[in-house]
This record gives sequence, structure tokens and C-alpha cells, in this order.
Amino acid sequence: MKFDSYDLNPSIYDEMFGSDGSPRPHSTNLYETLDNLTPAELGAIGDWVTRSFTNEGITFTVYGDDEETERIIPIDSIPRVMSAGEWAGLKAGLVQRLTALNRFLADIYSEARIITDGVIPADMIRDCPQYRLEMRGFRAPRGVWVAICGTDLVRTNDGFKVLEDNLRVPSGVSYMLAIRKATKSAHRLLYRRSRVRDIEYYGLLLAETLRELAPDGRSDPTMALLTPGTYNSAFYEHMFLARQIGADLVEGRDLLVEDGYVYMRTTSGLKRVDVIYRRVDDDFLDPLVFRPDSLLGVPGLLHAARLGNVSVINAPGTGVADDKSVYAFVPDMIRYYLGAEPLLDNVETYLCRRPEDLEYTLDNLDKLVVKRVGESGGYGMLIGPASTPAERNEFAASLRADPADYISQPTLALSRSPCLIEDRIEPRHVDLRPFILTGRKTRIVPGAFCRIALRRGSLVVNSSQGGGGKDFWVLED
Amino acid sequence: MLSRSAAGLYWMGRYLERAGHLCRLLKQQAESLVDSPPRDIYFGWHRIYGALQRGPQTGTLEFDNDDLFTIVDSFTLADDLTFEPTNPDSVRSCFAEGRENARQMRHHISAEMWTYLNRSHLRLQNLEIGDIWVRSPENFYAETAAEIDTFRGVTATTLYRDNAWHFLQLGGHVERTQLSASLLIAQITAVRLFEVPADAYWTSLLRHYYAFEAYNRASSTAIEPDRILDLLVTNSQLPDSLSLSVEGLCHELEAVGRGPDERSTERTRRQAELVRRLVGDEWPGNAARRALLRDIRNACRRLHRFVTETYFDYPVEVPSERKVGGFDQ
Repeated sequence: MKFDSYDLNPSIYDEMFGSDGSPRPHSTNLYETLDNLTPAELGAIGDWVTRSFTNEGITFTVYGDDEETERIIPIDSIPRVMSAGEWAGLKAGLVQRLTALNRFLADIYSEARIITDGVIPADMIRDCPQYRLEMRGFRAPRGVWVAICGTDLVRTNDGFKVLEDNLRVPSGVSYMLAIRKATKSAHRLLYRRSRVRDIEYYGLLLAETLRELAPDGRSDPTMALLTPGTYNSAFYEHMFLARQIGADLVEGRDLLVEDGYVYMRTTSGLKRVDVIYRRVDDDFLDPLVFRPDSLLGVPGLLHAARLGNVSVINAPGTGVADDKSVYAFVPDMIRYYLGAEPLLDNVETYLCRRPEDLEYTLDNLDKLVVKRVGESGGYGMLIGPASTPAERNEFAASLRADPADYISQPTLALSRSPCLIEDRIEPRHVDLRPFILTGRKTRIVPGAFCRIALRRGSLVVNSSQGGGGKDFWVLED
Repeated sequence: MLSRSAAGLYWMGRYLERAGHLCRLLKQQAESLVDSPPRDIYFGWHRIYGALQRGPQTGTLEFDNDDLFTIVDSFTLADDLTFEPTNPDSVRSCFAEGRENARQMRHHISAEMWTYLNRSHLRLQNLEIGDIWVRSPENFYAETAAEIDTFRGVTATTLYRDNAWHFLQLGGHVERTQLSASLLIAQITAVRLFEVPADAYWTSLLRHYYAFEAYNRASSTAIEPDRILDLLVTNSQLPDSLSLSVEGLCHELEAVGRGPDERSTERTRRQAELVRRLVGDEWPGNAARRALLRDIRNACRRLHRFVTETYFDYPVEVPSERKVGGFDQ
């Protein structure tokens, strides 16, 4: 039997099995199918999924890896399954959270009432490198600062928690769609029998969202996806999304600003661009406003956006709301702007800028996860229980030198999901990144990029750090 | 269409055409290694390098009548032209460039095109000359050429006929015209160099153009170089004839429409007409064929420059500081 040696640990939530060791009701179909497969059939399914990624060249780039610039993300062929009811709860929480974050951004770049009312300390915002003074007074199209959000969720025995919000240029949605395509094909009968909810219309929703945010009077807007270029780690995704939404895939050098309008250089001359889905970081977006040495951006872009002649999505400056320190205040934002209790919990967070939190963090380095506020992708992080004394000493010195640059959180027992590891089914830690779209209304496809920590016992799910991905099925009612 | 995208597709067409052309030449050459005398084999290498207008990076083209030396030289030269990554004209380099342009323009091509091309790329990526040499190098070249031909078929079947298609085709036609003119010049030059006239020199050329049967049908079986050249240049039914390549080129240029600058567009179209006139009107009966082929090749190169200047790299007025403005802070 495939699951005879499956390691069930009661202190860690398992996505397939309940605490009594029997399959959860929504996972029964999957469990029975897997259990009836021969090892050869199981291996063939895994090979099929991997081969389809290889053949289709679904890649990401690891910076600094000279030998292999294009790398295939490791894909596990066993889907993670969720019931419709559970998904409905998550969806409501995600919509609530993004609504509050958009209100926060509009506020923080105008009257900043949340500061004057004492909900968030002024220095928290002032010291945040992602807070862009240049964006003060900016009016985002239809008031939407963040149109595309990828929220990282983890599950513990206490339920779902938000690990972080990605509000600048969230990536991974192309993997979500490509993994679905491959997994669906590999598990044809199971997929049909399980009544999995469709996610393949994501591109249509994204295009609709972007069109809704076009400047007034542009009913048939010209859309472009701005990429840093072919060497960017997410270039495959940029290309994929441009194709999905029927936009031109442009680099900064393809665009220019004249008289406050943005144009792209086409074979028949300059053509006005109305909506730019940018996948370039704020710093590089406009050398006249941000980093003057940027070759990736477009001089004058922010001026055109301020005039309302082009919609830049997500708006520059949104990074202040996904800063790891500001994150701790999102539940307060929900209460402040929406007058409601948060539907999704945060992970308990210690702000090392506070002396008492710093002291607690230093005293418990071996138990906590310490993160630099400005880092992402699993870099600049100490996972206490897995660290050496030398690493902890090094982090302690850094914490003392610049405490405001760090936060700490308890080490969570992320839930685990069955994965095909070589020829055996073993549990691995997983997280979940659903994608939320906001135009005139907020939309979410019932799916997510499910990331897995492939190394046994590891909690790091980032693809740049040895993580992989798997399909995530939300079932019909 | 975005100029950079158009340029990427145009170059994709050029590189894949070049890779296919070289594979077919190398297939002929690998076949000649089985039973041809050393002189014919060296003739073949001269023709290939002459067509590419370059010398070998490694190995030598110097004729040696010794069978063993001929085979050893051929091994080195085949490696240079097939897998050498520093040789920009090697099959692997051309294929990699074509595939890289396709990767960057994936949103303009069909998923089927990409998957097919990527699979071929993965097959080529890890091969070395030793892997193909021992058993049957001609099969490897035939397979690779057939993959590129199949890719053309996949393209024709799946790609929407917008400017992505037209620029891809335009690149292919420009490259084919240039390569064809170069190859015919190299053929005439190599024939003169090797002095001894040999039918094999010309039949292999016919086979390269998939024209051997067509020649036999239209002519007596005797090999007459002038008639062969006429067929390869002017025949309007032979898929790879210069004439048909130039027709394709003019057609695609018309289809991509006008560039932003009227004068530049006209100049480009006039240049295409010049190439058509050289192949169509001036060829028949022209005794100075090598000189005329040179004119065709040079005119085609100029045409490439004009296409680039008209559609990809045309000058745009740089916005002044006053126009761009900054923020009032």
C-alpha cells in the first residue's frame, strides 16, 4: 500500500489525512486513486508532468547561476485538494484583506488619517524604504492601487494564516495555470470524477480587470506588459501573461513619453499605450523619479500616470503595504477602514524596532524565524530551529546593529501534503498563493500556486531555494 | 506590431532558415564521405565555407589526397559547422539563436510552434560531434533539416496570419535569397578552383535544392551547369529557387504594410523590386552570372538594412525635458 510508511505527525496538519489517520472526505477520491496505482503507474504520472514542463520550456531563472539560466521548476504530480466550503471562507478573507490594503494605500499617500488617528506609528511608514514620497497626492485609477495581489497563506493546526501579501509584482500565476494543465492531463479520470473547479479563465479575468482600470474615455485600451527582459527570473510568466491578455510584451526601450502620453514603437509608428501591467520594480520604473541609472524603465512614465493618461498597474509605492513590519498592522487596518474583524489571521509578529520585541527575539533566536523586512524569496532569513549557533550569533549581531530592519515570528508547523518523492509518497510542507484581482470589483479564480518545500523537513518553499510546486484543486460543492 | 517583436520574429525566421540550409549542405557532404574521392570531399567543404563567406575556425581546407587525412579534416570541419558554440554560423548556434528569438516572442507564436522547436532544441543541446559521427552523420543532418521543415509546416498550420507571420516569413525569404545567391557563387568559384569538372559537384547542388528530379524531368539527364543554374535561379515552381524566394520576399513586404516613414517605406519596396528585376529580367541570357549573383546578394543585403531601418530601428524624436517633465515637489 502506497501510504503504509507515510509519516503522519499529529502536531502537523496533513492536507490529506485527518488526525485519526483516515483520508479527509474531500481527499477520498485522490487517496483511493493513488492507493490503487502500481509504482510504475505512479512514476509514469510523475514523469509525464515533468516532461510536459520540460518540453514546453516552462522555466524560471536563478540569478547568479551562470551554468543554467533557464531552470525547470520541480513539479509534484499529486494535487492538494480543498473543499468548496473551506475555499469560500478563504476567499472572503482575501477580499476583505485586499480591500483594506487598497484603502490603506489611498490613505497613506493622501491624508494619512491612519497615522493621525494613532493606529500606525508615523515612523513605521517614514522609515519604510518602500514608502515612496514621490507618490503622495497620486490618484490611482478607480482608487485601485493594487489590482493584482498574491497572498501567501499557510495552514497550521490552528487554521489558515496569512504569511505575507505580495502587492508589487506578485509572480507564480503562470505556474498555477501550467501545473493545472499538466496535472489535469496526467490524472484525467480522477480529475473528471473529482469535479474540480476551473481556473483556466484567469487570463480573461485579468484582461477584464486591466481594461476596467484604463484611463477614462479609452473603451478599447491598448495594453502592454512591461518586463525587465528575458533575463528576469519570471520572464516566462511575463510572456505567458502577455499572451493570455492579448497585450504587447514591452521593455522600457520600446516605450517613450511625449506630451504626457506613453507610446510604444511599432512597425507602423508610435502607438499610444493606455494600460501598463508592469513587472518592473518601483526603483527601475522611471529614471526621472526613482533610480536615475535605471535602463529598464521609461523616463516620464510617472508623469503620464499622474496626469491619468496611462494606468500603471500595480501602482508604484504599493510596497509599503507589504513591508514585513507594516504587515503586523493589517488586522488593525481592517478594523480601522472596514469596521470588521479580520477573517484571516496574521502570523504573530515581533517588531524588533520595539525594545521589548528585540529582547524577546534575541532570547529566543533558536525558536523563531527572523526575517529582514526588505528581503523576499526566502533570502535574509534565519529559521531558528534549523540554525547553527554560529548563524544565530551572526544574526544576533545584525539585529543589535539595526533592529528596525528585522521582524521575528514563531516557527510555524506548516501543513504537509503527500508528494511523490522518487518512487515513494512522503509528506512535505506546503503553502498556498492565491491571486486576487481588483478592478471595478474583486475577483478570484478558485485556485492557487501551491508551493512545496521539497527537502525533507524543510520549511522553505521558494523556487529559488529548492522549492517546487503542485496543483491545487478546489472541488465543487 | 511592436518593432522589437517584429525584429525578433524576423531574426527567428532568418536563423532557422540558416540552420536548415546548413544542415542540408552538411547532409550532402556527409554522404560524400562514404564513397567520394578526397578531391570531391574538399570541393564540398570549399563550397560550404565559400557560401558562408568564412574560413574554418579549426581544421583546414587544404586539399590532401590521403584518405585518412581527408576523413580527419572532415571530422574537424563538421564539428566546426555543426556544434562549435563559438562559430556563429554553426547549426547549433543558428538553432539556439532561432530558439532564443522564439522564446522571447513566445507570446506571438503558437504553443505548438514553441513546443516543437523546444523539443528539437533539447535534442540538439546535449549532442556532440562524436555522438553523430560514428554511426550516420547524414541521418542526423537529414533529421535536423526535416525537423526545421516540419516546424515550417507547424507554423503554416497554426500561426495566425498577422504581422507575426509576415515578419517571420520575410526573415526566412531574405535569408534564403541571400544564402542561395552565396551558395551559387561559391559553387561557381569552387568548380573553377578544382578545375576538373565533375558531375557530382552539380548533382549534389541539385539535391540540396530538392531539384534533382525536377531537373531530370525538365532536361536531358546530361549535367549542364548553365541549365542547372537557370533552373535554380529562375524556376517559379521549385520551392527554393531564387525566383520563388524573391517573390515571397516581395509578397511579405507588401503584407507587413507601410512603416512610419513614407520615404523609407518606398526605398525598401524599390529595393525589393530591384532584387526581383535582377533575378527575373536580367538573369536570362546573362553571361556574367557570377557577377550578377553578387549583385543579387549585395542588393539583398541592402534590402535587409532598409527593412531594419524602416520597421525596427527607425529614428524617433526623443522627447525633450520640457515635454517629459517631472514632479512638483
